[in-house]
Amino acid sequence: MGSLGGIPLYVLEFGDELVYFSPYTITLFLLALTFTLLAIVSRPERQVDVAFGGDAYTTKIISVDEMRFRRFMAIACGLASMGAMVTGDVFNFTLFTAMVGITNVGIVAAVKSPHVQDAAYQYGLVALSATVPLFGAAALYAAATGSLSMIELAKGTLPAVPLVAKALLVIGVVGEGMAPFYAAKAEMFRAPGAPYVIMCSLSSLLIFLRVAEVVMIG
Amino acid sequence: MWGEYSTGLLLVLVAAVIGFVALAVETDDLHRLLLLDLVEIAALGIIALLGSDLAEALILPGLTVGIAELLALSQIYVTKENLKDRPVRGLNIEVIQKADAPAVLSAFLVVYGLILSGFTGGGVAALGLVFFFASRGYKEDLEMLEMAGGISWAVWILAFFVFMFLPQYWFIALMCAGVGILIKVMVKLSLSGTVWGERHG
Repeated sequence: MGSLGGIPLYVLEFGDELVYFSPYTITLFLLALTFTLLAIVSRPERQVDVAFGGDAYTTKIISVDEMRFRRFMAIACGLASMGAMVTGDVFNFTLFTAMVGITNVGIVAAVKSPHVQDAAYQYGLVALSATVPLFGAAALYAAATGSLSMIELAKGTLPAVPLVAKALLVIGVVGEGMAPFYAAKAEMFRAPGAPYVIMCSLSSLLIFLRVAEVVMIG
Repeated sequence: MWGEYSTGLLLVLVAAVIGFVALAVETDDLHRLLLLDLVEIAALGIIALLGSDLAEALILPGLTVGIAELLALSQIYVTKENLKDRPVRGLNIEVIQKADAPAVLSAFLVVYGLILSGFTGGGVAALGLVFFFASRGYKEDLEMLEMAGGISWAVWILAFFVFMFLPQYWFIALMCAGVGILIKVMVKLSLSGTVWGERHG
């Protein structure tokens, strides 16, 4: 069990669905939970545009419909992140990561700005193509070791996971929305509404921290 | 040295690479979306190569996530390009609307779907229905279909209760679940195309 991020304090086995809580996953889970709660209770920021060369400025108005949709997407993103943090199954991890990708697009797609829409579309294309290495990696995990359970993989009794499967997994996660690798994602942040947009970044960060644990297993 | 799995994996990866190259060359947004759908199939191919029950169980969520992303992206594309003023009203092709071929093809698909039964059968039968609705520009009330979908879903759930609490009647439950999921999937898939068109039309 040494190669997991700490000894699991609690393992929940529900059929194929395996969830475990180690100090590492609990920390990440609580972080995702906190930010989801913040997204639920906080009100959206009102972005201010300043006109150059003068004192004029305008505040962008966010309609209630738009706010509701984006809040829903932010909560869905938080739930998907929480799932990805505690799941003990490699395929479920890839599914949750793909869902984080979709909800990240959804958070900004409701904004009626051509720049934001275009950036969201391009980002969506990358996220969709990233499901190929993601699911491919999970399939290679299963093909090479015969198991998708991280607990089983960490025991060291199974054959080693091929490096290419781990590499594909990381490429998939990067494709699903690692902020620093994206020009399109930076463009997406033109979208007003602080707590929801921050959810995009936070979910990417959490997924990245978790995938670092996943690739060290097996 | 090369097993069947390795050969299959190589083929699928080559297919994926071809898809990605096409994606890199293409510049039109809509075409890239369509190409992505092709690339996605390569991902399902890698999973399918496992060739076990597990693969079947993994393909379904993979496919669902893929379709969800595709729907979301096409919705963004419609908003982005301001295509709201173009109603969808079936295929306006006179030959297809008048000819018997769509009816024959749809009937074949529905019957074949009934024979397959279960989830796959539902998908095949739904394809027949969608094709029929699309070719005829079907405009009638679809409430009956929706109701049939709801009832079949209830039958499916009931079958699960029988599995759990009265396992000795497993055969009747199996039949109920098979028929229930068949009708549910069939109705749901055929409505998802038709109702959407109605609302925008």
